[in-house]
Amino acid sequence: MSDVFDAVMLLLLIAIAVTVGRAKDLLAAVVKFALYGLVLCLVWQHRGAPDVAITEAAVGAGVTSVLFLLTIAKTTRAEKS
Amino acid sequence: MRWLGIALVFVAAATMIAGVADLPVHGTPDAPIHRHVGARYLEHGVAETGMRNMVTAVLLVYRGFDTFLEVVVIFTALVAVLALPRGAGKAGPARVVSPSGSTAAATSDADAVGPQQADVPVSPVVFFVVRLLAPFIAIFALASLYRGHITPGGGFQSAAIFGALFIALALVFGRERAARLVPVPARVWLQALGPVLFALVAFVGWCLTGAFLGYPADAAAHAVREAMVVTLEVGIAVGGAVILAQLFMAMEG
Repeated sequence: MSDVFDAVMLLLLIAIAVTVGRAKDLLAAVVKFALYGLVLCLVWQHRGAPDVAITEAAVGAGVTSVLFLLTIAKTTRAEKS
Repeated sequence: MRWLGIALVFVAAATMIAGVADLPVHGTPDAPIHRHVGARYLEHGVAETGMRNMVTAVLLVYRGFDTFLEVVVIFTALVAVLALPRGAGKAGPARVVSPSGSTAAATSDADAVGPQQADVPVSPVVFFVVRLLAPFIAIFALASLYRGHITPGGGFQSAAIFGALFIALALVFGRERAARLVPVPARVWLQALGPVLFALVAFVGWCLTGAFLGYPADAAAHAVREAMVVTLEVGIAVGGAVILAQLFMAMEG
């Protein structure tokens, strides 16, 4: 059961990472990246690292997303291809 | 070029998978990581440091010097950001992202700093939820700081939660009102609190034990050890939180 949870979460992480990389809309990419942080936080917690999980939830999912959003607000939202 | 990139990704992934496959199974007792100093820390850590959270014990006592430099690195990052010229990102036409998904051209007036708040009204749901949760988040951060040597948590976690709380409040109540939480004269000292308190504790430890960042080892000095650790935790938490808040304000301003 434990390994199944880890496998599902890691596959989800890979899937989210791919969608972040493929997103042309940078706002969508930031929101997906915040989701990546939250899922990674669950993985840390499940692997017995609650200290890292707390920091991941606050910094990985919270603070960095806001800083990315501020950057988008100051530049442009769409990626030039 | 595109195929070269894809090939590079596959090579890197194959290298990493090969590396991970070589790791011992998670939790194996005779893995190298458990045969080195880790076993000694786990065996004597609680008795030597008086801390039941081994992560904090290793961070602040056994590897205190590393943590000192880590705090200095965070402080240096803030100094680098503050050294950037203000308004450097305003070269192009500034665009504001509104919740409805449309992008609107911001006013080109350089004095209109932070049009994000003015143009985009905060949703009542977000306003209510942040106001409702803020005290609980603050209590969680304080508990994480106060009980960091017993339960998961500690100075860095507390700093991250406090910093995130400040950013949430600043997004809802506006930058000016949030900035008043930490007045400018206090900010100058508080953002350096981590390195300053670390240096202070290291000096105290030097005077007491003759070793930089040394902790008195005898059982009678338990209170002194505890005071040193709590001072470090407060420095990391307050300094880190102010640094996160400053990073936010520097980027937004």
